[in-house]
Amino acid sequence: MAEIQLRGVSKRWGNFVGVDNFDLTIADREFLVLLGPSGCGKTTTMRMVAGLEEATEGEIVIGGKVVNDLDPKDRDIAMVFQSYGLYPNMNVYDNIRFPLKVRKVPEGEHDDRVRRASAMVELDEFLHRKPAELSGGQRQRVALARAIVRQPQVFLMDEPLSNLDAKLRVSTRAQIKNLSHELKVTTIYVTHDQIEAMTLADRVVVMSQGVVQQVGTPTDIYDRPANTFVAGFIGSPAMNLMEGTLQGGVFTANNAQIGGLQGSDGPVTLGFRAEDAAVGEGGGEINAKVYTMELLGDATMITVRAGGALVSVKAHKEYRAEIGQEISISVPAQICHLFDSRTGARTGGM
Amino acid sequence: MVTPKALRQPMSLRFGSAAFLAAWCFIAAFPIFWIAVMSFKTPVDAFAANPLDVVFGPETRARGNGLSVIDILAGLAMLFLAARLAMRWLPRMVARYSPPGLSVVGWIIGSLAFGIGFIVVFFVILPPILDVVNGMTGPLGAPVIGLTAEHYEAVWVENDFWRNFVNSLIVTTGVVTVSLTVGTLAGYGLARSGSTLAFWILIVALIFRALPHSVLVAGYLPVFINSAEMLRPILGENAPTLYGQPLAVIAVLVSINQPFTIWMLRSFFQNIPAELDEAARVDGCTHFQAFRWVIMPVMWPGVITTGLFSFLLAYNDFLVTSLLLDAQNQTMVPAIAGYFNRETTTTDQVEAVAAAVSITAPLFLLVMVFQRQIVSGLTAGAVKG
Repeated sequence: MAEIQLRGVSKRWGNFVGVDNFDLTIADREFLVLLGPSGCGKTTTMRMVAGLEEATEGEIVIGGKVVNDLDPKDRDIAMVFQSYGLYPNMNVYDNIRFPLKVRKVPEGEHDDRVRRASAMVELDEFLHRKPAELSGGQRQRVALARAIVRQPQVFLMDEPLSNLDAKLRVSTRAQIKNLSHELKVTTIYVTHDQIEAMTLADRVVVMSQGVVQQVGTPTDIYDRPANTFVAGFIGSPAMNLMEGTLQGGVFTANNAQIGGLQGSDGPVTLGFRAEDAAVGEGGGEINAKVYTMELLGDATMITVRAGGALVSVKAHKEYRAEIGQEISISVPAQICHLFDSRTGARTGGM
Repeated sequence: MVTPKALRQPMSLRFGSAAFLAAWCFIAAFPIFWIAVMSFKTPVDAFAANPLDVVFGPETRARGNGLSVIDILAGLAMLFLAARLAMRWLPRMVARYSPPGLSVVGWIIGSLAFGIGFIVVFFVILPPILDVVNGMTGPLGAPVIGLTAEHYEAVWVENDFWRNFVNSLIVTTGVVTVSLTVGTLAGYGLARSGSTLAFWILIVALIFRALPHSVLVAGYLPVFINSAEMLRPILGENAPTLYGQPLAVIAVLVSINQPFTIWMLRSFFQNIPAELDEAARVDGCTHFQAFRWVIMPVMWPGVITTGLFSFLLAYNDFLVTSLLLDAQNQTMVPAIAGYFNRETTTTDQVEAVAAAVSITAPLFLLVMVFQRQIVSGLTAGAVKG
């Protein structure tokens, strides 16, 4: 049980900046997700916390102790790796037991603790098997069991689900959520999958190119993105972003005119979410020809060209339109987000 | 299993490729087969103009050394039985009786016991029994193939070839031990390091590997001969002359071999995902413990394959050992060459052949014992988690 603090942590390789000036306090028992596209520095950040990577600058504090100069083994952490990192020469039982063995936990406790940990991830039947004889999902559960067997202060998970197929990912995700609820250990979880981030996190850190873009609860990040990067990254589909100009509270762009907005005049980027807008009978803010129509099952996705971008709207599932047909979309001012067109920072809306 | 239609080959092609393979095997194996046959014959038979005489050895038979049909059948049956035992019964016994975690020791003891048992049965118990049987069976018991072990006796007992064997053993053991110890540590370090220095070390190693062996020998030889004088200021009166010492040869062979072992082991280590070390270090290991407890157990095929190559280099080396060792410390390969440098008689030549056959036997044994590791080592990458 510990609080983690990152104070101005940076990682540079020569001129290349991996992580730039990362500042964050992770509360005790919090489940924090680092989210971002590949190469954004999220894994590097986690590896610096683990001690597998040295921070070029800044301090890392775990449970009130500066750990910069400590080896990974002395930081009281456990880590789950993307490609499992299981020891191929040991069977499942010995894999889970390994941390207890090298840390000289009294022999008498081993069996009990290994069995408890393996029961938590439902691996009891496979204890005698070698990792090569397990499926991907089972291997990842062995890695989880190996992490929880020692009851460390901090869990680090590096894209643990990305090597699993879609169906298994959902069930393992649920299992991780349940485990973290049960164990209540401070956890840092790295992923590029926003659905994992939304479902698991207490708080999400969105990163891009080594820089933190936004820190907040999943709802915060979804409802009030701090800039166009977050807006364009979170959500499926991501937020629609249109380039245009704002004059006297009226946003004007190719095929679109939205009134009733607040903000200073000049070029802006306007965003709204596909599920907030609606397809109307006419008199809407966006009037354009249908570019494409996709049936999703629970809804119909209509895409049109407006404001120099493709704009998507979710209509109810029986809605049908022909490609090329002229339609009207209502985008009331209260669902709109405004961003500075140059810096991308949020300036208003909602 | 039925071969899919698309992969089925026409009869002629299958016949052709099989015939080619058979012919190739025959050509490749013929020299070894031929010297093995020669080594058991008297010189007259061994150098006979008619190849059939070499195989059946009438002269050898006339001297009363020969095998009857019954001998041959009994010998083959024994060999077959021994092979069956080694494959079926030995692994099971080792698995049952060796203490957990020490299966290597179990294997060593098991194979030693098996080897001694085989020699005792095959060479001590079987011959007298067969003598009696041959005497009773008449024509079937009459010798058909001439065969004599006299040259082996001459080589190993009279010519003291066993001394050369011991010397070879010392040199190869030294070379393999040093180059594997240094090679695994260096290979691991270089595989995990991303620095440019590591890259340059590897390039330098490659250059040293590319040097002709004679360059190293020419460089070391004068130093070794004069080493007593050169070392006197440091070691005093007891300063050794390194020339002729197995230890000095070990040093030279290691320096020839080390770059190669480092390169080879490095590529094996690179096939082991770095996540494995990292997982171990997070789980509570120091760097060295991670290497010892997690990486090395996965590395055995690589270590054994590399070790085999080092062994072969030291075992087969002629240039370094012949130039740097004096007569009493001679290893086997230069010793065999020595047979040809005297006023060579045909007997000497057959003895040289017998010695040559004897030095291939350990190689066969080694490859047979480690074949599984060698195959997985040579095909590499068999260590994914």
